Amino acid sequence: MTDRHAIATLPPVGRRSVLARASLAIGAGALALLLGGAAQAQTVTVWSGYPEMEPFYKKVGESLKKKYPNLQVKVEAIPLREHEKRLALALPSGSAAEVIELANSTAQRYIEAGLMKAAPDDAAKFVGNTAYFDDFIRKTATVGGKVYGVPLFRGQGALYYNTEKFAKAGLSSPPKTMAEYTDFAKKLTERDGSGKATVSGWSMRLSGGGAGIAEKFWINMFQFGGNLIEEQADGKWVTTYASEAGRKALRLYVDNVFTDKVVTPEMPADADAFEREQTAMFIRESWVIGDIAQKAPKLKYGTALLPRGTIVAPVFIYSGAEGEKAKLAWEFALAANEPENAVWLLDNVGWLPNRKDVDYSPVVAKTPAFKAFVEYPKDYAFFTLPAIAPVEEILSRLAARLVKAFADPSLAGNDAAIDAFLKEAAAETDTILKRANLLGTK
Amino acid sequence: MTALQRWGFVAAALLPTLAIYAFVRLYPIGDVLFLSMHEWNIISRVRPFIGFENFVELYGDPLFREALRNTAVIAFGVLLITVPLAMVLAALIHARTASRLAPFFETAVFLPHVVSLVPAAMAWKWIFDARLGPLNAVLSLFGVSPKAWLFDPVLSVVCVMVLCSWQALGYAVLIFLVGIKNLPASLYEAAKLDGAGPIQSFLFITVPLLKPITLYVSVVTLVAGFNVYGQAFVLASDAQGAPGQLVRVLVLDMLENGFRNYRVGYAAAEAVVLLLVVLALTGIQFGLLRDRSRA
Repeated sequence: MTDRHAIATLPPVGRRSVLARASLAIGAGALALLLGGAAQAQTVTVWSGYPEMEPFYKKVGESLKKKYPNLQVKVEAIPLREHEKRLALALPSGSAAEVIELANSTAQRYIEAGLMKAAPDDAAKFVGNTAYFDDFIRKTATVGGKVYGVPLFRGQGALYYNTEKFAKAGLSSPPKTMAEYTDFAKKLTERDGSGKATVSGWSMRLSGGGAGIAEKFWINMFQFGGNLIEEQADGKWVTTYASEAGRKALRLYVDNVFTDKVVTPEMPADADAFEREQTAMFIRESWVIGDIAQKAPKLKYGTALLPRGTIVAPVFIYSGAEGEKAKLAWEFALAANEPENAVWLLDNVGWLPNRKDVDYSPVVAKTPAFKAFVEYPKDYAFFTLPAIAPVEEILSRLAARLVKAFADPSLAGNDAAIDAFLKEAAAETDTILKRANLLGTK
Repeated sequence: MTALQRWGFVAAALLPTLAIYAFVRLYPIGDVLFLSMHEWNIISRVRPFIGFENFVELYGDPLFREALRNTAVIAFGVLLITVPLAMVLAALIHARTASRLAPFFETAVFLPHVVSLVPAAMAWKWIFDARLGPLNAVLSLFGVSPKAWLFDPVLSVVCVMVLCSWQALGYAVLIFLVGIKNLPASLYEAAKLDGAGPIQSFLFITVPLLKPITLYVSVVTLVAGFNVYGQAFVLASDAQGAPGQLVRVLVLDMLENGFRNYRVGYAAAEAVVLLLVVLALTGIQFGLLRDRSRA
């Protein structure tokens, strides 16, 4: 109506002039549409390996809307293993998203190959600020003196225990030593009339595929003072699990399965089992708190520190993008670390934000289970997965062997057989390190 | 039109199709052969030539040997279950062609073939569940103690085999049914006059005359069996909280080596071994079935 009215009030003009004006109007309209479309097309695509992170990224996008009103955040979150596969295909071909969430151990090879871009000055300055991040986080964000990743969250293990089952078994506090873990697990195991375990006393990762089995084995071995592999002064690595600590850890597993029968490979395991009260305790990262809040809000449970220390797996935001996309990607990464978003992440998703100058106490007060993840003594030790190219192969090949060991009753009470197993597995790890030119001498 | 022109016309007509075929079918095979003799981590621009080193390493790789063994057991297991069973079912359905239920029988048998793999595998995962699965519940009625189907190293392979056979059966029955319908009725009439019963007719007329069809079904089933992946992945993947024995098959091992361990050349060497095994077995099947049928 308005346009028609406007045309009606125009002074009389010739036919050619009308056509010229019409063309001009169409052109201007098209230009406006184009510009408007460009504004609308301001999109940040996030590739994540943790589907539970999707709401967080949407929230970060919302917080950026003050500056970019037309910003759209497209989150493509798929399970971690599939995420790693798509990156392996997309990064070399230049078709990956501009915001990539990834553990530093996995990102290392892409950084070395020049497929991840170094962070711009403002982001690098932010990451390098000692007031914001611990040395460990700042160090893992940096490769060759350049900052590549903006810290996001970390996976950190702790014990989850069912307080009702503990009380029923006459246990008033969580285990503090590995001997207590074994002792408590026996008391906590629920059995049917035939003596078969119906609720595991301690759920351990005994089966399945992938590196997770070896990672969990490492956590338990760490409590006995050992590591799977250790870095030498020259930057090379040596295998260290064919050792006393390795023997103790593997003995713990086979004793739990075959001697004490507190857990079996076919029993329900992990967070699902804990939430369904099919296990009394297990070791996992902080995301389980958020998971329990969603799936089993009435579950009575507590968390506790592990006897010696735990794994820390930091996850960063990286980008392989350039130009405007890269600018927006780094802004997004910085916004993800805003105090408001960091608190929201802990409160709503459960992953531990890496930014340390933020007050998380209201969340911890509301959910005391977070205490075991954020409050620990000074001598509490941490380890992380090595940022070396063959780390996945080392873990997945060891995992394949461990699964067989956990199902092998001949290892129970047989230290010689355990040692032989560890020696053979360590030889394979050495071969992988040697192939990658990373094998050092002890 | 001269002979040369005719040949030229034929070549020009076929060339686009052949070019596309060569690009999408032959080039990848050639590239896999090329990669199998190189070391490549999918990221690097450098691919050093290492000759047969990947194959030598494969020979001593326990995971590869396990994958090859599992794949071969599954493929031959599926072949042995599917082909005879499909032939019998096709004969039974054919014998009931006049029945009003004939379309139902055909649909019921063919349905698993068109059902999407993932939901079907999830359903089977539940059937095989050690604690809640109906299979153990049914077996317990006969006094059989519950089995950890998806954990036991042997039973988990059997589970994958059962799932693959269940899926492959429908297609095999359909092909056999087409074959049976085309067999000359006069032979059966003559056999009947000579006093042959249905079982004798099946064994001495249907089975021998179906040899070309059996060859086709066998080759297709065996090749599909060697390419098993999705069934093993869904039934026994590394889903957290869902314990299960990882049934390592060749394709799964290739994916792990290629995209998790970043050893594309090594994975390509596995693919070459798979190609050679399937080619050799197909050749043997052709030799066994085709020659005898000609004799």
